[in-house]
Amino acid sequence: MRIKLGCLYPDIMSTYGDRGNVMTILRRCEWRGITAEVRELRLGDRVEPGELDLIVMGSGGESQQRLIASDLSRIKGPGIREAVAQGAAALAVGGGYELFGRFCRPGEGAELPGAGLFDAWTMGYRAILDDHYDTLTEANAERAIGDLVVRWGDRLLVGFENHSGGTYLGPTAKPLGQVVSGYGNNGDGSEGVLLGNAVGTHLRGPCLPRNPALADFLIGAALNRRYGDAELPALPDETEHTARELAMQRVTHARLRSRRSHARGALRRPAIRVKARRRHRSAAGAQSRGRR
Amino acid sequence: MGKAVRAGVRRLGKGNGTAVPGAVALAIDPGTLAGLAAEIPRGAVLVTGSNGKGTTCRMLAEIMRAAGLHPILNREGSNQLSGIATTLVARSGLSGHLPTDGQAIGLFEVDEGSVPQILKQIARPSVLVFGNVFRDQLDRYMEPAYLTSLLEREMRNLPVDTTLVLNADDPRVAYLAPELENPRLYFGIQDVECGRDGIDPTSDFPRCQRCGGELAYRCVFYAHLGHWTCGGCGLARPVPHVQLTKLDLLGSGSSRIQVATPTAEMVLEIPVPGLYNTYNAAAALAAATACQLSDHAFSAIERVTPSSFRMERVDVSGHDVYLTLAKNANGYTEVLRALLGDRQPKQMMLGLNDCAGKQPDTSWIWDIDFDALCGLIPAPVISGNRAYDLAVRLKYAGWLGTTEATALTTEPDPVRAFQLALARTPGGEPLWVVSTSIVLQQVRRWLRQQGYVRKVWQEQDQRGGADLWPS
Repeated sequence: MRIKLGCLYPDIMSTYGDRGNVMTILRRCEWRGITAEVRELRLGDRVEPGELDLIVMGSGGESQQRLIASDLSRIKGPGIREAVAQGAAALAVGGGYELFGRFCRPGEGAELPGAGLFDAWTMGYRAILDDHYDTLTEANAERAIGDLVVRWGDRLLVGFENHSGGTYLGPTAKPLGQVVSGYGNNGDGSEGVLLGNAVGTHLRGPCLPRNPALADFLIGAALNRRYGDAELPALPDETEHTARELAMQRVTHARLRSRRSHARGALRRPAIRVKARRRHRSAAGAQSRGRR
Repeated sequence: MGKAVRAGVRRLGKGNGTAVPGAVALAIDPGTLAGLAAEIPRGAVLVTGSNGKGTTCRMLAEIMRAAGLHPILNREGSNQLSGIATTLVARSGLSGHLPTDGQAIGLFEVDEGSVPQILKQIARPSVLVFGNVFRDQLDRYMEPAYLTSLLEREMRNLPVDTTLVLNADDPRVAYLAPELENPRLYFGIQDVECGRDGIDPTSDFPRCQRCGGELAYRCVFYAHLGHWTCGGCGLARPVPHVQLTKLDLLGSGSSRIQVATPTAEMVLEIPVPGLYNTYNAAAALAAATACQLSDHAFSAIERVTPSSFRMERVDVSGHDVYLTLAKNANGYTEVLRALLGDRQPKQMMLGLNDCAGKQPDTSWIWDIDFDALCGLIPAPVISGNRAYDLAVRLKYAGWLGTTEATALTTEPDPVRAFQLALARTPGGEPLWVVSTSIVLQQVRRWLRQQGYVRKVWQEQDQRGGADLWPS
């Protein structure tokens, strides 16, 4: 058996060890005797919808997003939408997930068009505040940074998130799962998007080696697209599971710690209230924008 | 005041007190650092970048001393606002002023994330050295492109006579804040024999910062450092003023470099290994050139001693143990390439920890080039609180799972892992410990308790002598 994997902008969108997601798919295919062929799709390359079984895009910051946005929207977008409609699997992470939506408004500069695959859009906080940060401390204060645990069906997905602003889902979009711990899409308890076999998520880490079940979901969907049905033999994942277990323990400990420091947190409450108000306004603004 | 705090911190045994006194002084008077820095007669040299700033400072300090200057150097790693303030507070007298010393010059290693803050205090540095930008602790520094844009914004306030010492081989650093008219002094490697063909997949800046075009490389030294030109707008690597014309990487101990500066040529043997350290030497020599120090002092670079955890050698019951810090993807890759460049298998302990819950992101380990080194570390011991994440990484790099050749052991406890690794090392052979900092600190603490090493700051006090802490 064989599958064809399309890697979008491997030279640009791979800031958070995103190579790891591709390596995980390749190894898990190799260990099962499945041949996985990689096609790298760079700026200017089109996506031929019939060709790819699985499309992967990694994360990147605002400068990387700005480099690829118009190419993704105009040149690759139609092929990606068609491929997913035909059953291809896809994974888009972080900045890549944000650009798989309808548009993305980063903190500085113009609004970026998205691939239009997901009924979703992303707004950076600075975009609403019309402001910039002078120091990293200031910039980090308004980012969601930390471990992220998501309930996905009867499983838990573990990862790490680091993003500014919020991703908002339109009426036709279905979240990938519910946030157990962390921030997720925009603080409303949802995380990611699932459309057919296409997954968009803020889970980094990278997410596939930390969540072999998600990797196998994508590989299985890719095989299904090509062969109609496919049974994936189980792999010995003890090392991955131990790493996952430890990550869950860390998250639990961190929550207990933060509960203990609740009294200290009260001292900072005025600042938090201001921020919450801003967020609220930003969410409302984004929604009215998105519906337009 | 600050001195009393430092003594108190040390008395309590809570560490070396390299940041607390400065923090206290800054809390009492936020202008402390700005005031004291302005008193240094020969001004200040700031050294920043993702990797190698500590080693660059140590090399430059040797050259400065040989040239008759008295560098005021902050301690390694104490490179944020409070650490630099501590250095100056400790040096100042009871009057709150620095002692009169016409030969004193500030030499500060600055955390790349703290440059904007430091430039607000030390507003008129004579030289600003920028070595490289790599992705590093994304949960703290964010994407490198964003970090550099913050730096550029703050650099606009620099006086026009501050010399920028920049790495010509780093396409993001070479044209940092291009609109500034400050003098620029470039360093770079000319010896293309030491290059590799393709760009490392971990490159953070594969595209031109001016036009976004794709960069073409005639030769890559590592990551995105090399001889580059932009295919779009023609922006190209500037010709360096300080050139490394020939490199001999002499294994895991040292390197011989042939250097051409605007006024002299020389061959130097630097007692630290790896391609990345030759860049540090080039940066130090370029900074010395920018400070107009005599060429005769340049050979003092050969006297540099490795910083703590930079291939720091400890003799442990007949084994040479090397403690080596690797805190980001490019650092880890280059350290392993320096050690395994001879393709001879070696005994190693590899560590990975996060910052006690504060910086849980370890995604960067997927950018380390473990794949090419498969089989060269036949029985690695993996340690640290994120040991299993590293084990997963090595599994997908092909180090275990399909081949039985690798006997990989995972032991999160650093001391137990170290004992295990040592027991596995055949008699007389060296053991390399490559890791992020917390694992190394725990191993080092154990070595200290066993009487093999002294406290880091005690050694630094002795080594740095009167320059650091005049009594």
